[in-house]
Amino acid sequence: MTNPYTILGVSQDSNKAEIMKSQMFAMKKKEFPLQVIAVAAKQLLDPAKRLAADFMFPAKIKVKRIQPIQCNLKHKEINIDSLNENAFNSLK
Amino acid sequence: MGVIIVLIIVGVVGYFIYQSLPNTKYEKAKNLFNTKDYTQAINILNEIFEKHADAPAKLAECKLSLGQQASGKTEKTKYFTEVTALRKKISNSATFAKFDSIEAKALFELSKIQYEEAKGNIEKLSQNIRFIDTANQKGSESNFSSLKTKHFSDLAGSHFKKATEKENAGKHSEVIDAIQSYTLARDYAKKSNNSLIVNNSTSRILICQLKLSQSVSLVGSSEIEKSDKNYQKELYFRYAIHLLKNKEFSKAEKIISLHLNFQSSDIDKLKEILRTEKVNNAVKTVAEINALIEKLYNRTLSTEELKSFYDGLDTASDELGIIDYELSEKIADIKPTLFNRLLTKNIENEEYNEAVNIIQKYPKFWESPELLKNLGICSYGLTAKGLLSERNYKIVISGWLTSVFSDNVILKSLDDTTWDDNYTFSLTEAIGSNYSQHEEIPDNVNYDDVSESNISIGATQKELLQQFETIIHKEIQDSKLSKVVNEFYDIEKDAIEKIVAQIVNDIFFATPYFAISNGLNNEIINELDNDYNTYSNEGALEAGVPYIKNSNSTVVYQYFFANDLIDRVKSAIENENSGAIKKLNTKENKKWIEKFDNISSSVEDNLFNSISNKISENDENEKLMSIMEECISFSKHNEKLKYQFSGYVANYCISKVNDEKIDNFKALSLMKSAYLRSPNNPKIVKNFITLIRFNIMDMLNDQTRKNKDIYNILDWVKNNMSQTYKQNCDELSKARREILQQLKQSGADISLFDDDNPLARLHLNLGQSLNAQGLKMKRVLTYLKELGNDQKSTNPLDALSRLRQQLNLDDDLPI
Repeated sequence: MTNPYTILGVSQDSNKAEIMKSQMFAMKKKEFPLQVIAVAAKQLLDPAKRLAADFMFPAKIKVKRIQPIQCNLKHKEINIDSLNENAFNSLK
Repeated sequence: MGVIIVLIIVGVVGYFIYQSLPNTKYEKAKNLFNTKDYTQAINILNEIFEKHADAPAKLAECKLSLGQQASGKTEKTKYFTEVTALRKKISNSATFAKFDSIEAKALFELSKIQYEEAKGNIEKLSQNIRFIDTANQKGSESNFSSLKTKHFSDLAGSHFKKATEKENAGKHSEVIDAIQSYTLARDYAKKSNNSLIVNNSTSRILICQLKLSQSVSLVGSSEIEKSDKNYQKELYFRYAIHLLKNKEFSKAEKIISLHLNFQSSDIDKLKEILRTEKVNNAVKTVAEINALIEKLYNRTLSTEELKSFYDGLDTASDELGIIDYELSEKIADIKPTLFNRLLTKNIENEEYNEAVNIIQKYPKFWESPELLKNLGICSYGLTAKGLLSERNYKIVISGWLTSVFSDNVILKSLDDTTWDDNYTFSLTEAIGSNYSQHEEIPDNVNYDDVSESNISIGATQKELLQQFETIIHKEIQDSKLSKVVNEFYDIEKDAIEKIVAQIVNDIFFATPYFAISNGLNNEIINELDNDYNTYSNEGALEAGVPYIKNSNSTVVYQYFFANDLIDRVKSAIENENSGAIKKLNTKENKKWIEKFDNISSSVEDNLFNSISNKISENDENEKLMSIMEECISFSKHNEKLKYQFSGYVANYCISKVNDEKIDNFKALSLMKSAYLRSPNNPKIVKNFITLIRFNIMDMLNDQTRKNKDIYNILDWVKNNMSQTYKQNCDELSKARREILQQLKQSGADISLFDDDNPLARLHLNLGQSLNAQGLKMKRVLTYLKELGNDQKSTNPLDALSRLRQQLNLDDDLPI
């Protein structure tokens, strides 16, 4: 089921007059069948049904802009050769 | 005299001849052997060596004994060698049988001497093993085997010692030789069950391999854990260094924490290296994350990179947490932003499966109306695109319903547009609440009546549900999938509607699948329990049943359990399993059923209907009777069940007796139980009385052999007559009168058949008596009289009443 806003090519905030105008425009454009356009217009002109159509727009979640992460740690060289491999010689 | 002399001479000659015989000599030698005079015995046995088959073996035995007695090794060796040398001299094959075992003993003694001389000498020990392997061992196999094991043990020790000496030398080639020696030591130790050397050799081999910088694996070696503790320390320390050199830091860390968990400056150095490595990694990770953040805001980060970035954040945060907690927190803080970006991308690209997955993994996503709404959108989109499958339909449908039933989700939609600024919205018809229960609502939302300007949120929710239902009803091509999807949808929707209708408090409502999957079911059940405890509302418990999982201590569960008991009884009826009903028929179970009025009051109807279904399948099923009796006992209210039972038994008996499929006695026995349950049901009582008459006539006409059993039942009836019985027992009196009439017409003196008749006593006094046939007639007539109207039994009410009480039939006492 295509979103009625998409069928009529109107924004989510459009008013009644804009919806009716867009219905005429969509009928001329013939991108969708006339019945589909009529149903879409009817849906957007009925507030309860329009709210159902609005439901299908993803909810925007408020989030912070990510800032680069500051790191105080410094890279160090690892020297494994300094280890005494015979530290636990068990045949002594 | 001459004869005597000749006889003496013959005797003497005979004696000498006898003494010179091999057998005699052998016996003599045996006696000498028994008295341990081996030297004399040897002399005799040497003489008869080739003349007596057992002489060589005995000779060998003498020498063996001398060898065993001897004190010096040389002397012992001499005797035992002499034993073995005898083999060459033996020509008689029959001699070998006894000789072999003596020779084997001598060889064993020789190998023992050689073993003592070879101790600690690998070459000599190996040589003696070869000697043992080639020796005749007949009869001494176990001795040889034990001795050989000792050799192996010694060899294991010797090789291990040799290996440690080589390893200690420290040169590369000597360490290689040491590995070979440890390997031999381990092999010999395995043969001699010397687990200490096996374990120690294993550890030392690994140490040597590490010294040679060879790659090793310590996985699954239980031998290491049982080896010398100092060997273990050295091995794990060297292994940890080996892992660090190979940059296998996490493995090294695991080895250190598991096996080098003690204080040492050398261990501290290892730990410091690990920490440095982690710091370096942290620096690298932060740099990579910063690069990705830059790409994110440059809009050059692909969806795949974004997903990988998001998926890796938890691991990065956990790893950094060990080094720097604040850094870890900073990483964790960027997760919601990335999540939002990824979810938005997934929805934009209609990647609904991926979107559902990440939402579900987000901690407590249902607490965010935005996320719950997006879950609803994705569930709808996934269904509309025909992507429902057997794997995902439960998640999708439960997600959709939970989202749409959440009033908060719909209210959230109002935030994003301006067209609705001139309207207000009413929750009065909302499907996500049954009461004015939302504590906080926006200014433009109310609980007033719906009007042109006060829009129904409930209508919006119903519109959404209707749109979704249209898709799942009409657009799922796979008929099997369509069926399961629609059934599941109906069950989930019905369940959430029920809890919304029952629960007063403002809690999160979810469908059963959603609630159970996310651990929210017990909160819902607790609300329903509270509702029941406050208002005794069993509807609340009914609503909670689909939400049960790990909820055994709740009232909802008890309610479910009580209902389940009824279902189990119904199932037992269906399967004609009276034993199963008997097992369920306990005081404890009945207590659970009685606790809930809804269940308790419908038990009888439930069981009645189940039995009726069975009767409609087969109305002459005798097995059903015991099931019906159990059901009467199970149900507190059982009037209908008793009526059903008695009627069924009566119909069965009438049909079977008429068709001569059962005899009159069996019918009487069955009807007794029907009468017991319906003693004032005229149809039952009349049929019962007729069967009594049939049985009495069968006895009179010698047509039954069950007289004793029949009389038992008749005696029981005498003491258990109901009012209806008494009103209908004329049939028996009439039968009695007819018999007496026939007797009278045939000229018999009928006063003889009635003890109450004064004439009967007169006859008795005159010495007149009845023959056997007459006595039988008299007994029958007496029972007809007592069971008919002619004589009432004394106080039958109490006995019948008591029995009926025992059978849970106490609410239908005879009048």
